[in-house]
Amino acid sequence: MAVNTKIIKRRIRSVSNTKKITKAMEMVAAAKMRKAVEAALNTRTYAQMARDLLVKLSQSAKMHLPLLAVRPVKKLLVVLITSNRGLCGSFNSMIIKKTAQELADPKNISRQRIQHSHALEPSGDIACDVIGIGKKGSDFAKKMGYRLVASYSQFSDTPNLDDVLPIASLIIDAYTKKQYDKVVVAYTDYKSPILQVAKLRQVLPISEYDLEKMFLELGRGSASSEESHPADTNIQKSEHAPVEYLFEPDKENVLRTILPRLVETQIYQAVLESAASEHSARMLAMRNASDAAGDMIDELTLTFNKARQAGITQEIAEIASGAAASSS
Amino acid sequence: MKFCIATPEKVIYEDDVLSVSLPTMSGEITILPHHIPLVSVIAPGELRLNDREGNHMFAVWGGCVEVAGDTVTILADNAERAQEIDIERAEEARKRAEKEMRETKNRQDVDFAKLQAIIDREMNRIRVGKKYRK
Repeated sequence: MAVNTKIIKRRIRSVSNTKKITKAMEMVAAAKMRKAVEAALNTRTYAQMARDLLVKLSQSAKMHLPLLAVRPVKKLLVVLITSNRGLCGSFNSMIIKKTAQELADPKNISRQRIQHSHALEPSGDIACDVIGIGKKGSDFAKKMGYRLVASYSQFSDTPNLDDVLPIASLIIDAYTKKQYDKVVVAYTDYKSPILQVAKLRQVLPISEYDLEKMFLELGRGSASSEESHPADTNIQKSEHAPVEYLFEPDKENVLRTILPRLVETQIYQAVLESAASEHSARMLAMRNASDAAGDMIDELTLTFNKARQAGITQEIAEIASGAAASSS
Repeated sequence: MKFCIATPEKVIYEDDVLSVSLPTMSGEITILPHHIPLVSVIAPGELRLNDREGNHMFAVWGGCVEVAGDTVTILADNAERAQEIDIERAEEARKRAEKEMRETKNRQDVDFAKLQAIIDREMNRIRVGKKYRK
């Protein structure tokens, strides 16, 4: 019996050590999450304003710029945003599963939607390449045999725009050179601390349709935390009456400045959303682990007490029976 | 007139203003209420705001400005309020970039362009910051 209590005691100690660690990780994740969520929300304003401007500009005339060119899809580039480290619940498996699903049957994702009803069907076989942000995504791409064009895993917990710029310029370059016909970013949309959704979004070619969809969802996700910006009232006004703008120096120059920004912002936004999601997922996973450890400790303590009591009872019984035997 | 200046990282400033002066690719312009709709590309430089309380100064670097109705929206790559500029740190960043530029002679053009951009940006910050201090 004495051995038994010893083993249980050791287990209790080890579980409570684990609990301490998970508790600490939960706190760290919570602190990082707050920062990441704030950064994600801050970026939404700029992204929204940039998109408004683009929509307004495209209303007035059709433009032929490389970043707006829609081609039938032959080569697809996926930017897969995951985390570097594990222990964050289903965060990585969710986004990887979603991506794997879409890439297994790339017909759907390769359709070029021009307008709400029209679509440009992909031509022939579709080749997929991957850019991995975060170790887990790169590992997945290697394992599945997709060509890994680039892999970035040195991001901090709250990425700067400067971190994202090389990726954006790589994508823009490749698209302009017609190496790819469509660029999609796979990220995890941060809805709330307990709800994150894995998503794939089109980045290039820049299409009004997809931007609209993206921002509609952004607006819904953050409706509680975001007040109406001047940009919001702006869209409503302009949608009623398209304004004729004066362009300085000219329209093409303006678009050349703003289009790459839009790509950068979209990727930056996706990275930030993913960071916010990752930390929330980790926090939740760690909280569950701490709770489970707590339950386990309670259970083990009960077993330990029972074993101890049983040991004492048995000892008394032995003494009593020994005394009874010697006195008789 | 409503005014809003935002960078990809955050909204820098948002308020009602009387006039805005800013550098564009085709020279400095001042926007007063009832300006016609305008979209322009911003050049590196200083942006001045006038509101009821007085002047505000910002260092801006790249991006574009949109004037529509009674709203001025600035999407800047980089913007900072003049009083928040840390001149010493900007000076250091510039020196670092310049040093790197001297030391790496045989790198690709892209790197040079990037370094030059950093130098320009820091110079601009220093200039606006110093002007504000005076």
